Amino acid sequence: MDIFIQAASQISTQEPLSEQWFDSPVFSEKILNESIDPDFKLYIPVMVARRMGKLMKRAIVTSVDVLKKCELTGDSLEAVITGTGLGCIENTEHFLNAVLDNDETCLQPTYFIQSTHNTISSQIALFIKCHGYNTTYSHRGTSFDACVLDAFVQMKLGMISNALVGGHDEMTPAYFTLLQKVGYWKDAPLTEESFHSANTAGSISGNASLAMVLTNKETFDALCKIKAVEMLYMPSIDEIKAKTNAILQANGMKLADVDAVVMGFSGDKDNDEVYKNIVLQITQNIPAMCYKHIFGESFCSSAYGVYVAATAIARKKVPAHLLYSSKDEIRNPRNILVYNHFHNIDHSIILLSCLD
Amino acid sequence: MNKILVTGMGIISAIGVGKAATVQSLLDGKSGIGSIKYLKTKHIELPVGEVQCDDEELKAIAGYTSSKPITRTSLLGRVALKEALEEANINLCRPRKLAFISGTTVGGMEKSELYYHDFLNNDAHNEYIAMHDCGACTDMIGKQYEGKFDIVTTISTACSSAANAAILGANLIKAGYVDAAIVGGTECLSKFHLNGFNTLMILDKEECKPFDKNRQGLNLGEGAAYLVIESEESVQRRNVKPLCELSGYGNACDAFHQTASSATGEGACKAMAKALEMSGLNSGDIDYINAHGTGTGNNDESEGAAIMRIFGDKIPPVSSTKSFTGHTTSAAGGVESVISVLAMINDFIPNNLNFSEKIDSLSFSPVKECIRNVKLSHVMTNSFGFGGNDSSCILSKL
Repeated sequence: MDIFIQAASQISTQEPLSEQWFDSPVFSEKILNESIDPDFKLYIPVMVARRMGKLMKRAIVTSVDVLKKCELTGDSLEAVITGTGLGCIENTEHFLNAVLDNDETCLQPTYFIQSTHNTISSQIALFIKCHGYNTTYSHRGTSFDACVLDAFVQMKLGMISNALVGGHDEMTPAYFTLLQKVGYWKDAPLTEESFHSANTAGSISGNASLAMVLTNKETFDALCKIKAVEMLYMPSIDEIKAKTNAILQANGMKLADVDAVVMGFSGDKDNDEVYKNIVLQITQNIPAMCYKHIFGESFCSSAYGVYVAATAIARKKVPAHLLYSSKDEIRNPRNILVYNHFHNIDHSIILLSCLD
Repeated sequence: MNKILVTGMGIISAIGVGKAATVQSLLDGKSGIGSIKYLKTKHIELPVGEVQCDDEELKAIAGYTSSKPITRTSLLGRVALKEALEEANINLCRPRKLAFISGTTVGGMEKSELYYHDFLNNDAHNEYIAMHDCGACTDMIGKQYEGKFDIVTTISTACSSAANAAILGANLIKAGYVDAAIVGGTECLSKFHLNGFNTLMILDKEECKPFDKNRQGLNLGEGAAYLVIESEESVQRRNVKPLCELSGYGNACDAFHQTASSATGEGACKAMAKALEMSGLNSGDIDYINAHGTGTGNNDESEGAAIMRIFGDKIPPVSSTKSFTGHTTSAAGGVESVISVLAMINDFIPNNLNFSEKIDSLSFSPVKECIRNVKLSHVMTNSFGFGGNDSSCILSKL
């Protein structure tokens, strides 16, 4: 049984709810980047939106948009699976500040209610009235990858036939400052030209709001197939190699059948070193693609890795701006491997292929 | 050959460190709920289910000898994980592939709230910054076993996190991703959570009274619990003795309100029905329900209504052991699954403390006195979270 990415919708630093980034990406020369938001009131009644933070609104809008593309409703959707590294951190900070500043007195519940990580997944379900399977992964840089794995496994087991899978994270100025202290971000912005050659510590911050529909029913307009999803914990390079080979073998493929590999090059020296080693030891001459230079780094940025690969397969080309090393665009990519790692601890490998 | 078997368990909560102490407290009817001793808060009027160890004592129990800082949530997790791995004999004979799936919501908040102003204003406690998030907490539990785990992830569905960890683990085993999975959750008390629940006005100022007509709310608790679940093939190959079977599970969303459950218990009903369907059991086969039973006005009435819908006029004994442990939130699904298995193995049904009067709209009362010498073949345990994240698991004797 094949599993498909039927459609995707995103809000980020690029044009919202659009694939404009594919043809004409915007490069931001800032370290802390804000998303470009659509007109929320076109999607969420004003009275309902009033009680929601920005991240929540983005999650609702991307979800509603992608479900519409797939003609799915709360009744026909069988699972809502959300990844978020920090949840609605803006609300968490509000409530934490109130607890500390008011010395645990005179507190209002609203921010607390909206602060739990599963607020996003449950508010989506509430908004579309979906009683199906509902869960939330909050595991740093592989939060989204775990969602894909969960949906993939349940479809393979015949437990569900479709799922809304999302990756949603926001970077607040306060949290940005904290993470800056422990080396997450660059001290100075990068130019588009220097992004991949800076060889310094830290990356560029972005937000993630990406919703995808996965299904086990083939339609002519699906973006691509998901052939394999694997997660690894603290693997050696040999284990990554063995897992890559096992994935290819299980799908009757050789490394030569892979047209491109997507990697989370972020401009951070240590992060990029891990990918460079994978190229050196495993994927070698297969062109490497990148995406964090236009979408930024966040706990759910890996969602954009899957998204750019799926879009490239559907659009039948990998434009030059998504290529890490070579600058010749790739025509008709059929198979793309997506590698992701967080601090070289949590890894994932996802294989996407074109429709038959 | 596709049963999911339980081969090891570990638990720490207000009623004790480890399984033996937990069983003893349950049999003795000894609640762990009392005055706040370790958590730094001004709300000392609120009773809690606190683990009776400070961080240093927890480090000693967990065998944590590093000088590196660690959060209380991770320490609790390490204690429970150690006991679970020992019982499953993982060290002597490893499963071929092993996952570690942990639920948490608080994560490192208990340290962040202590040092948040330092984070912002100076560099005195920067080492805790990267420990704040949920995944960091799981990683600080898991990374001591470098090379042992093949898949590690974190689930955060509030009070049903640990139950949903069990569901993912079981699915990964069924799909052949791993032979075994360690599933459960960990959560420590924090000022953030205590104040959050307090603003919702759902904390009882006395010991909680689940399923009582005059219940006033819940008592927050803390703890951690993990179960080692494994494929039949792996159990046979490793030649270990299984404790019981995870025979069914279901997850559904109430999709009613962010913090309240629907009056009819829509999500709870769906979760229990899914679990029964997977197990192939009829509602009449369930011998005991370890209820979510928080003690809030809303939960107990809604869950009770859902139990009545599923079980009709043949409602099995029901109790909420949160009256012993307090509500351990993200760990609750683990703590209560372990308690359910302990009850099954030791032939008893734990009672529901502090109950005196039945809820008008419900047809049943919870178990008032501990029932001993009772054979339990199938036990259902419910875990419901904020946002209507409802899950139910069924554990069956082999």
